[in-house]
Amino acid sequence: MNIAALPASSPDPGASAPATFTALSAAERLARPGLRSVLALQVLRTVLRLGFAATAAMAAGRLVMGETVDPWLVAGMIALLAAACVAGFAAERLQASAENAVSTRLRALAGERLGKMPARQLQSLSTGALIVSMQRHPESIAALVVGHRAATTMMAVGPLLAAIALCFVSWQAALLVICLTPVMILFFALVGNAIRRRADAQERAFGRLAGQFADRVRTLPTILANHATASEEAKLGRRLEGYAGETIGLLRIAFANAGIIDFFASLSIAILAIFLGLGHLKLATIPGFSNLELWQSLFILMIAPEYFAPFRGFSEQYHAKAEGLAAAAALDLLLDAAPVTAGALPVLDRLCLTLPAHGLVAIVGPSGSGKSTLLRRLAGLEPGAMPTPATRPLAAEEIAWVSTDAYVPEGTLSEAISWNGGALDRSRLENAARAIGLLDDALLPGGLDARLDKGGANLSGGQRLRIAIARAQLSGRTVLADEPTAKLDRATAEAVRRMLIGISGARLVVVATHDRDLAAAADLVVDLTRDDAVEVAA
Amino acid sequence: MSTAYQSSSRKSWRLATGFAFTALACAILLGGVSAWLLGSVSIAGLSVAAFTFNFHIPAAFIRLFAVGRTVARYGERLTGHKAALTDQISRRVELFAAMAAAPAVRRAGWQLGDDSRLADYLDDVEDLDFARLRAGLPALTLACGLAVLIAGSAVLAPLSLLPITFLLLAILFAGNRVARAGAMAWDETRSLRRGGASRLGAAMASAVPLKVEGAWNRECAEALAALSRADGAQLALRRLQATLDMIAAAFGPAAGVSVMAAAWYAGGQGSELLAPMLLAFSWLALGEAINGGSRMLVAVLRRNAARAEIGQWTRGTASDRREFAPDNIKPGLLRHGALQRRAPDGRAIGMPISVLLARGQPTVLVGASGSGKTSLLKQIAGWIGDDAFAAGDRILPAGERRALVSLVLHDAVVLEDTVRANLFAGDVPDATLWRALEAVEMDGRIREAGGLDSWVRQDRFSLGEAQRINLARAWLSSRPLVLLDEPTEHLDEVQGERILERLLARFSDRIVVVSTHRAPPLRDVRTIELQP
Repeated sequence: MNIAALPASSPDPGASAPATFTALSAAERLARPGLRSVLALQVLRTVLRLGFAATAAMAAGRLVMGETVDPWLVAGMIALLAAACVAGFAAERLQASAENAVSTRLRALAGERLGKMPARQLQSLSTGALIVSMQRHPESIAALVVGHRAATTMMAVGPLLAAIALCFVSWQAALLVICLTPVMILFFALVGNAIRRRADAQERAFGRLAGQFADRVRTLPTILANHATASEEAKLGRRLEGYAGETIGLLRIAFANAGIIDFFASLSIAILAIFLGLGHLKLATIPGFSNLELWQSLFILMIAPEYFAPFRGFSEQYHAKAEGLAAAAALDLLLDAAPVTAGALPVLDRLCLTLPAHGLVAIVGPSGSGKSTLLRRLAGLEPGAMPTPATRPLAAEEIAWVSTDAYVPEGTLSEAISWNGGALDRSRLENAARAIGLLDDALLPGGLDARLDKGGANLSGGQRLRIAIARAQLSGRTVLADEPTAKLDRATAEAVRRMLIGISGARLVVVATHDRDLAAAADLVVDLTRDDAVEVAA
Repeated sequence: MSTAYQSSSRKSWRLATGFAFTALACAILLGGVSAWLLGSVSIAGLSVAAFTFNFHIPAAFIRLFAVGRTVARYGERLTGHKAALTDQISRRVELFAAMAAAPAVRRAGWQLGDDSRLADYLDDVEDLDFARLRAGLPALTLACGLAVLIAGSAVLAPLSLLPITFLLLAILFAGNRVARAGAMAWDETRSLRRGGASRLGAAMASAVPLKVEGAWNRECAEALAALSRADGAQLALRRLQATLDMIAAAFGPAAGVSVMAAAWYAGGQGSELLAPMLLAFSWLALGEAINGGSRMLVAVLRRNAARAEIGQWTRGTASDRREFAPDNIKPGLLRHGALQRRAPDGRAIGMPISVLLARGQPTVLVGASGSGKTSLLKQIAGWIGDDAFAAGDRILPAGERRALVSLVLHDAVVLEDTVRANLFAGDVPDATLWRALEAVEMDGRIREAGGLDSWVRQDRFSLGEAQRINLARAWLSSRPLVLLDEPTEHLDEVQGERILERLLARFSDRIVVVSTHRAPPLRDVRTIELQP
């Protein structure tokens, strides 16, 4: 994959380009072209289905009444059925593709947003929440802006088409089903309110029980360590029971929604069948329902359910709306969070020094004095005054960063060391790895071919740091190292110091460190201990 | 409790199945009988039979079917969900117990402590919970409906069986294909999703180095691309579903048309065609029920994938499910002459070491990060490995030590529950709980949060506060062997030392092991220095 790297001129991390990120409106924009075609196909399918219903009713009615049935009518009926199925097939495939396109591009947009986010803000995000968000939320939002939106539109168009079809035979029948609609919608509103009230009450009373199973699985090692498995198991059973009972209470109302649609769809068939039957028997003269041919009555009977079908399709999508809106809100919250600002460090703004082209520079001072911040400024990661190394600012391609959170890709140790460094021959890799003690590490059996888990999950901070140092040594870049010897055992720390001093013979090495031995070996020490003066000692 | 669940679940399923059959039967009959009625009255209306036609009985039946369909569908949904939820309770409780016994829980880094892995796991559990409702029940009723209508067609219009069989075979063929290709697509979706997630997690963990070296955009974009490829694999599944749904959508109407055509071809005329018409409209109604049938198939293949995945967690648990509780022994000395240290995955680390743990004299494990301190503690606790320690004149195997030990994990967490439940102390008096909280300097914070019975969650606490709650649990524990993994992590130096001293004073009559990456200024301790 070829993604443009950051421009060589150090980017200004303070300015994140677009001011706001709103997932929903972005998704709506992305969905527009696909949505139009999906709707067109859905309308086409509805029309074709109505056509099939008309021809089928005509054929059946004529057959039963002993009239001749035109072969063309039969052929047309079969063609319409086939065409309706194909249109439905195309609509579903297109909807799936459209949703996929929206989710993919929305994810890419989110990725761009993450790319522009300053490192400090990135670090303030919860990794778990970000992964869940990137994995699931684009899909939920896509389902909202394509599937749900299409169902909403069809709820207006579908019944209208069905009513028009009914008008061809009997406008009174059309009027009857149309008149049922407001009553149905009134019921919807009533039930909707009841659901909301009930759900709020449930949230208040039982919100605590909702995530209990997930929580107990998450905390299993803690439960085990405290010998509480049996008691937690019993408690979990009780709480799940309470939650299930409450959920059923909520569903009892929620399903009423679908029940209302079923009721009106069934009722319309029953009313129409009885009216039409009376009309055929000529026992009653109801305008619009009397003196009809059998095929006309059958037609009405077949179309009436089509009138209600879009309502059902919409009601099945109710959770898609809730999920999509929640996903959009979560994504916005994550990507549009207020920028995290670094604490003011006046000492750094007064700092004035020129870094040499090569040699070891140590930044020392107590925790919180700004060592790491200065290092980040040197790397162009944070805005603010900074010393200029030699003649020009450092570009990303010129820096090798060494820290315990160094990136380790999936693969072997040799791949991890040569990552981001182009092709390197094996003997050089081996020398670098040996010099830093990676080859005789008992926890990394197999030397250069040792297998590293995804993301280096099986590595300690010390091992990551040593991989980063080997990488830095091979890279030929300026080395910026954040606490390179902390948390290491004595022997390894010594090897790290040796390596850094060795590199500093030819290149600039800047370390932020607490390590007195390392600072003692430095060519230049920047001491940030005192707030009002920066001590620079050669 | 489990048998109570079982009988209530069985009852609910029986009820749901009854409702499902009633709903389908009413739907089919509503369509069929209405059409039959219209046909009959049209023919009757041509003659004087109109005046003798008994209109009221079929009309009453139609009303009955209409109401019956509505009520039965509502009942089906409600009782079906009730049955599924009842199953869910017992299944989840069992699953919790099985997971608790799984060896993976005691190894390094609990994977389901991670939000995204936990979310995937919960999806799987949900797929298991609702498979029967989404696939089993509708498939059963549909199959019965199909059988009845096929039998009817065989009697009234035998020739129509030809196209019906042909279409059924086409559905079976497409279904089979979707099932196989779909299972592959779903597996691919899952593995791509997981790959992308772990890649994004790795990039997030190294955000600063990646940003500095200008590699963030590339790594992040690749991780997101993997997630999008997962969506693509799912798209493939949806496209397969669309094919199946297309054939299924044609099935009902085509069967209806075939029945009418076959009856006409067999020479039926006028009122002889009324019964076939009833059947044809019944087929139309059944066709409505088949719509979206591919969802059943997907529910099944998701269930299978979920079952396999969850099975991996709980595999090999049957053997060491229970904890042996030796009768009240309080070992004064715990010894292992040549303990082979092991990494969590079972690999040996270094040469065997001699371990001697004595009551009243804390042992401190010192070593750099990655030197295997936590693993050694877990080995002593009997959480990993199968080592037997000598305690006086008896041998304590791993399983027995597990019951004797209070292991304080450095990554212990806060449960979503009350403070009291979080202390795991059982029925001790409140005063004791408060003393424990005072010892770890959390009493003020807990009082502020609302006392012992206030409801707490992990995200309400800082890492240091969570760590102190964890230490309070240790303070309250009465087990004779106390293992503290990095007890002062996330605490400031002075406070950490204060709390540790209080804890050690309380544990003066027990065997205590403390791991730390910098040696604390403690008197009278035995130190074991670990080299990686």
